[in-house]
Amino acid sequence: MAMDNKIIERLKNELNGVVFSDDLKSLWKKYLGKEGEVKMALKEIVQMSPAEKSVQGTLIQEIYKETIALFEEKEKALQQGENDKNLKGQAESLGYEIAKVGHLHPITQTIRMLNKVFMDMGYSVMDGPEIEVDEFCFQRLNVPADHPARDMQDTLYIQEPDILLRTQTSSVEAHVLATYKPPFKVVCPGKVYRNEKVNKSNHFIFHHYQGIVVMEKVSLKDLFGTINHLFKKIYGSDVKIRFRNKYYPEVEPGVGPDMQCFNCQGKGCALCKGSGWIEMGGAGIIHPNVLSMAGIDNKKWLGFAFGLGLDRWVMAKYNITDIRTLLGGNLGYKYYENENTL
Amino acid sequence: MKILYSQIKELAPKLTASPREVGEALTLTGLMMDGFAEIEYNNKKDYLISLEVRQNRADCLSVIGVAREVAAFYGLAVKYPQVDDLNFGKEALAIKVNAPDVIKRINAVSIDAVENKESPAWLKQYLACYEMNSINLLVDLSNFVMIVTGYPSHLMDKDKIGEVISWEINKDFGEIITLDGTNIKLNKDELIIRDNKSVIALAGMIGAQYGSIEMNSQSIVVEMAIYDRVIIRKNSRSLRITTEASSRLEKDLDPNGVDYAMGFLLSLIRKYGGGKIASQMFNYYPKKIASKTILFNPKMPSIYAGVEISRKEVIKILKNLRFAIIEDKEMLKVTVPSGRTDIFLAQDLVEEVVRLYGYNNIPVDVLPVLTMTEDITPKHFYLIEKIKDILSALSYDEVLSWPLTKKGYNAVMNYKEMGEVSVQNSVNEDSSELRQSMATGLLAQFAEYQKKNLEYINIFEIGKVFGKLGKNYLEYDTLGILLYDVDKAIDKLRIAVETLLRELGISEICYKNAISKPAIANPYSCWDIFVAQENLGIIYKARQGNVYFAELNIANLAKGLNNAPTNPTIEITQKIVTLDANVVLATNESIDDYIKNVRKKIGKNNIFSLIIKDVYKLANDKIRYTIRVSYKELSDQKAKEIHFDSFGLTK
Repeated sequence: MAMDNKIIERLKNELNGVVFSDDLKSLWKKYLGKEGEVKMALKEIVQMSPAEKSVQGTLIQEIYKETIALFEEKEKALQQGENDKNLKGQAESLGYEIAKVGHLHPITQTIRMLNKVFMDMGYSVMDGPEIEVDEFCFQRLNVPADHPARDMQDTLYIQEPDILLRTQTSSVEAHVLATYKPPFKVVCPGKVYRNEKVNKSNHFIFHHYQGIVVMEKVSLKDLFGTINHLFKKIYGSDVKIRFRNKYYPEVEPGVGPDMQCFNCQGKGCALCKGSGWIEMGGAGIIHPNVLSMAGIDNKKWLGFAFGLGLDRWVMAKYNITDIRTLLGGNLGYKYYENENTL
Repeated sequence: MKILYSQIKELAPKLTASPREVGEALTLTGLMMDGFAEIEYNNKKDYLISLEVRQNRADCLSVIGVAREVAAFYGLAVKYPQVDDLNFGKEALAIKVNAPDVIKRINAVSIDAVENKESPAWLKQYLACYEMNSINLLVDLSNFVMIVTGYPSHLMDKDKIGEVISWEINKDFGEIITLDGTNIKLNKDELIIRDNKSVIALAGMIGAQYGSIEMNSQSIVVEMAIYDRVIIRKNSRSLRITTEASSRLEKDLDPNGVDYAMGFLLSLIRKYGGGKIASQMFNYYPKKIASKTILFNPKMPSIYAGVEISRKEVIKILKNLRFAIIEDKEMLKVTVPSGRTDIFLAQDLVEEVVRLYGYNNIPVDVLPVLTMTEDITPKHFYLIEKIKDILSALSYDEVLSWPLTKKGYNAVMNYKEMGEVSVQNSVNEDSSELRQSMATGLLAQFAEYQKKNLEYINIFEIGKVFGKLGKNYLEYDTLGILLYDVDKAIDKLRIAVETLLRELGISEICYKNAISKPAIANPYSCWDIFVAQENLGIIYKARQGNVYFAELNIANLAKGLNNAPTNPTIEITQKIVTLDANVVLATNESIDDYIKNVRKKIGKNNIFSLIIKDVYKLANDKIRYTIRVSYKELSDQKAKEIHFDSFGLTK
């Protein structure tokens, strides 16, 4: 039987119409089965003369190889198609429900930011009691009973005159000085209480951030460098800071660190009461009486301390206009957004 | 303290700095400028500079004090207001000092034939700068001298009071009508000035109407006194009276300054009101205060500042501040000038030098290299931080609430055996009790969120709860969690609590019907949370609504952590074998105790996990529990053997 390349064209057309593997098997039988067209032609080669073999036989061999290749290709394609069908059947769609995220309070976020700055510099973090005794809140900080400096803080008493709610985190300083042997570097974030009427700009509960360093050698230059570093970390390298002399009984010399008003860039506005500067707290070299009351040799050891009010920083950073929001029902979070803390 | 720029110029005539420069210089050196206004005074343009005077600088509650500061900063001389040579009479004033413990000094004198009248325009205008109304010449001059020198004085109409004036602690008078007509009830422990009939003044605070100066007063007694500041402060606080006089006399005014201030006042009265000083100067000054001398190492300012300040500069600054100096080899003997009652120690002198040297001359951009120190951060700090992170990852929001709560809230939310702690003097009457449970704040926050239509209310707070046991005040770091759901959801909260505890490393958690239940809780849905023998806290459903609350004591949690296994990592070389067992217990039997016992029998090394898979209530007060145990590193046969033995099952 004479055979030519037309058979390949015919096979290609037939293969194109095959969708299921059973049809492919039937087609295989037709061409390559025992009595298949190509298989039969292959068997006939044996009976051909040498001349026929070299021409017709070679052609049949080529057709046979191509036929096999076409079937293999089609089989692969069919298998692939059936897999897709299966996967399609098992496919799932993405839903629309959005994951709600939890949030940390802005005060916590701010304290963490400050803690990181100081822990990177080797400071420890401490806290102390909120119900405090007069001795640790005042006397050990060089403020004896009936000292006019007590007017700086209206105290909430639990049992006047001795038991009170701490008015400042300097009380933690007094505990740290009494408990640990220098040298040490400590920061103490915490709640403090003052007997003040609650309104939009004042609260009787707010947050302080205290720092204490006791070493054999420290100076105002070290204190200024530390506070400058802190402010720049938080507010960026453009922030302008000034240090002025300010009396606090627990330090000598005393320092008032001020930051140039971020609202008016120092021109004077309602926020900074026209001064161009915002008071950030108090600082100074720890008073020798404070060290000696804690049993620390004030001839050998020197220290610096600073106390910063946190609430106004937080209000400025988070655009909160009413201080009551920080500790009350008006503080909310967007369900599906969180703060970028990197 | 307010001060006119023109008056500073008058006292420091060589001053060339502008008003704003003066304000800024004062700010840097300790008196912060908190107000600056251009005004008209004496028909000329002038500037009123407002300064914050801190509690240590009684001397700067005066024009002279501030002018001295300005002069010291710019290295100028001060020209003091003139005091005339005064001729005193021979009459001896009848004054008794019956409270010597609280009186440091009294100067008093009488003046006859004085002409009281309306004040001159300059004086009225001057007092108006200080928001003081003009009363009459004599009273206005007294106020003027107080502003200029810082020393309050008190004038009495000699013709209206008895012959004998005494200073004493009040025991006789129940009230006083003050100069401004206010009737004040007295506690009968105040320092007063009196005669034989009535109170003439609350000493150091305010005069009485009785004996007060009026326009027709002709014979007067002028007194200027310095008291122990403590009694003035106490009287001022207890009677709730703060006056220009009390705010100065409750600080440490130097008694030595009375001589100049009294002389200045008498000179002005004579100049503007005429009259004749009829009496001798009564001068009670039993313990004259001598000038203090401090031995000072001039290297100290450099050590404290961290920058080099030369000996020459130190001496120059101290001299500008009126300190007298005798150089003694390496050291300085420094004598403190009058008025500076805030200087006691070498460190005080350091501050004087450094503040005038200028804090702005100390570099700020050098990050200190401080000695390495041991980390003394307590473990519970890290624990609290981790709890916050885990809860926020579980989609809980952190809130902060008032630790002081309304009366009655603790009664329904507390479940601990401890008394309530109240503050005695809160100006916020509805927040006088310290919270005994975190529920007080979380429930208030929940109510606010509901009002505002917030849908998801999963919140937590870590703070202190307070109480009292006997005489001891207690405070505990505590975690409170509140969950709200439209459906029943106590199990959601339980899972959150357990996830938190397991994330922290605590695994053996169990619940027992709570022994003490807060009144706000549904008593049938309220459990104590235990880890081993440690009671960590409580979990409950509120009586109303699908509001669920859990509270954990952080210190107890830390104790639980100390006993917790530290490493859940295992090698798994064989397949896990999982087997169930049904156990029937009476309702009053504890499944936790049963499981504890079974765990022991199985042996912890054989358990991969052990959970209650199902609970089914049977009749006759019985409950059937299906317990699923997954065994590790055991063959099927061995696992079955242990399982059957441990649960007492028949093969």
